[in-house]
Amino acid sequence: MSEQTATRTAAPAVDLFDRIALGVVGLSIVTFLLGWTTLFERTGTDTAVAGLSLFTLFGAVFLLAGIGLLVSGIASYVGAFETTADRYTGIGTGLGLGIVGFAVGGLATTILFGVGATGSVLVGLVVGLVVTSGVAVLPEDLGTTFPVGLLGLAWGGLLVTGAVDAGWFWNPPSLDATFHAPIVVPLATIALSLLIAWSGAIVAEGFGSQGRQNGAYLLIGLNAFGMIAVLLLLILFVVQKGLPKLLEGAQFGPGLGISVPFLTKGVMLGQQYNGIFPAIVGTIWLVIGAVLLAVPIGIGAAVFLTEYAEQGRFTAIIETTTNALWSTPSIVYGLFGYAFLVPRFGNSNSLLAGMFVLGFMLLPLVVITSRESIKSVPDEYRDASAALGVNQWQTIRSVVLPAAMPGVVTGVILGVGRIAGETAPILLVTSGQPFPARAPSILGSFRFVATPPFVQNEALLQASSALPYQLYAVITAGVGQEEAFGWGTALVLLLVVLGFYAIGIASRIYFRRKLHQ
Amino acid sequence: MSDQTVTQTNEEQQSNDSTEQRSNSLTVDVETDERLVDSWTDYEFEDEAAITVEDLDVYYGDDHAIDSISMEIPERSVTALIGPSGCGKSTFLRCLNRMNDRIDSARVEGTVEVDGENIYEGDTDLVQLRKRVGMVFQSPNPFPKSIRENVSYGPRKHGDVNVGLLGRLLGNDDREVEREIVERSLEQAALWDEVSGRLDDNALGLSGGQQQRLCIARCLAVDPDVILMDEPASALDPVATAKIEDLIEQLAEEYTVVVVTHNMQQAARISDQTAVFLTGGQLVEYDDTDKIFENPESDRVEDYVTGKFG
Ligand SMILES: Nc1ncnc2c1ncn2[C@@H]1O[C@H](COP(=O)(O)OP(=O)(O)OP(=O)(O)O)[C@@H](O)[C@H]1O
Ligand SMILES: [Mg+2]
Repeated sequence: MSEQTATRTAAPAVDLFDRIALGVVGLSIVTFLLGWTTLFERTGTDTAVAGLSLFTLFGAVFLLAGIGLLVSGIASYVGAFETTADRYTGIGTGLGLGIVGFAVGGLATTILFGVGATGSVLVGLVVGLVVTSGVAVLPEDLGTTFPVGLLGLAWGGLLVTGAVDAGWFWNPPSLDATFHAPIVVPLATIALSLLIAWSGAIVAEGFGSQGRQNGAYLLIGLNAFGMIAVLLLLILFVVQKGLPKLLEGAQFGPGLGISVPFLTKGVMLGQQYNGIFPAIVGTIWLVIGAVLLAVPIGIGAAVFLTEYAEQGRFTAIIETTTNALWSTPSIVYGLFGYAFLVPRFGNSNSLLAGMFVLGFMLLPLVVITSRESIKSVPDEYRDASAALGVNQWQTIRSVVLPAAMPGVVTGVILGVGRIAGETAPILLVTSGQPFPARAPSILGSFRFVATPPFVQNEALLQASSALPYQLYAVITAGVGQEEAFGWGTALVLLLVVLGFYAIGIASRIYFRRKLHQ
Repeated sequence: MSDQTVTQTNEEQQSNDSTEQRSNSLTVDVETDERLVDSWTDYEFEDEAAITVEDLDVYYGDDHAIDSISMEIPERSVTALIGPSGCGKSTFLRCLNRMNDRIDSARVEGTVEVDGENIYEGDTDLVQLRKRVGMVFQSPNPFPKSIRENVSYGPRKHGDVNVGLLGRLLGNDDREVEREIVERSLEQAALWDEVSGRLDDNALGLSGGQQQRLCIARCLAVDPDVILMDEPASALDPVATAKIEDLIEQLAEEYTVVVVTHNMQQAARISDQTAVFLTGGQLVEYDDTDKIFENPESDRVEDYVTGKFG
């Protein structure tokens, strides 16, 4: 790279070239971000920047970027700057841009001329083919800048002239839907920004393999950023909606102690602030029960299958079956619990039945991930231990399992995320009153008796609420419950799951430490 | 070189050497003469034999990896096994502590006696055998545990030291015993000075050479009689290799050491006797190291040790 910079700084105009390219990339990143914020209604058609409405601004930026790309492409082609462009753009880039051409060509045909589906697909195909073959044989500096630059000019022109403005919409004749500008424009803007950023990044490194690498990095980086941004927005959204309910009637501060009724109270008549404490406790017990059930059995099964069982058809069948079980829909587990467990646990819905069903759901994942991590423990450890005369079980216990533990924990973390949010099985085997007043008191209900099974726990055999189930109940029935109650519940569910993650990650760090200190 | 000529040269050699105290007689199975081989393996020595191997054959499935080997290994000495890659040195070594049991396709025939007991007889206690015959592997393989735990791993698992909570509660805390074992083993492995200050650090933080000496210490901690080493220095630099070599020579004062190596100079430097394996899993010559390197009987061995073949 340093070599290249050296040769390029030799030409006096290179500064200008670089600046244009970087300007294009920078502008497209700005429109990319603004596109997202507009999509999520953080900014809107009424947002004005320097006197320009947002859409006009988008248009102006795209015009500028398009011109920048075209100019730098031509400049490189005529040799005004020294670049390392290849002789041909190549079929890969051609195909990629061809697909874009297909989409744009087809859409433009229907929107502008009202042509039906078949016609527009045909036109799209023709445009796509032309773009693909054209780009593939063009020199790289033209092939990577021209199609993108022209598209920027076209879209920018539409926006700047107001041909597409905030009130624009498209009503496809064959569909029962209308596409409005506030959705369409940001989406198109995001997509086009990605393309322009990619093209600009290639230009910035003077084409060639450096350029392609730079383009790919930028594309991947922006995409990853976009994904994370969506997730963060989602979480923010839930927090924003749920926090007011969560903090309703909450008091904390010097002399007051901390009281958050939403988290510590049930639902009772005549109570000022109702809360979801019973559901929180229900979910936590369900997860704990399921983990206690699934983890020992799952690890045991994994140890047996990897270390003891002869590898062959038997283990292959078990492996396929476990994979299939992991992808079995949760309602099927729920039905099994409903038909098989509930009648055996006192014929009523119960926390215990829920623990079992969720435990069964978690089991396959624990088996799969434990097997993988046990398999990945190097055989050298086993050999070293065996050569010292230590038997297989002791070797597994003191060398193999500790080394496999971080992987096992990762599996459990993933699984807990899934089961904590399960609604369907809870609905069938655990749920009773959706808004109970009191939480199940598991620890306080243990009784020791003289006859087998010697322990009894009333609370385990009673129905309980759980966060996802409560959420479901609020949304569907909602009698006497406002929507805010649901958002509050959703936020708490999110926090509970994150809390379990935190515990899981902490224990994984602990096990890793033990291996590496 | 046809089998016929081989046989003739051998016979000449034999008559010439007949006056010598330590004769290397020819073992030619006349009945099954398609297997005529040159072979001088009747090495005689004054000490007791720690290990006696007789008619050992090893098969991996249909692969014949060890072809009817017989040899006696004297106690408290270094025996080097050399030979080209794939000739069965590791396989032979693994027969001596039955590590081949761990390979599903491996089948062993013949007898191996350690201290006069045939270890391939039905009721051999593998735990006892492997405590008596320790092994050090080609690449250092310490456990991902602390240095102390690595060394005391064997004694702990064999119940020779109890450092668990239960032991402490019952008042037999063997920490002191453990400390002694760890110190003694590390000292024997010439590692004590380098790690005495950081016994609780993770063993994976040691250098390759230190790790290998740690593995030797781990093996010594269970107090074996025999130590098998499979190319113990092949993954190490010359300085670390020199340390391991010194160590091996020292260990031979107390232990019977059998070491596989690809390095002729190493074999010549450290071993008392050398066994040369050649392709097909045959033991071709077994004698004093000096004799093997200066004046071997077999032409093939001479070619091999002088680097013309293999
Ligand atoms: N686990 C195994 N399964 C099947 N065949 C094996 C196995 N281990 C070794 N062999 C075969 O047995 C023969 C001897 O192998 P061995 O590892 O004993 O050779 P070696 O002399 O130690 O070679 P090197 O010097 O390369 O370590 C080889 O042909 C090898 O392919
Ligand atoms: Mg080997």
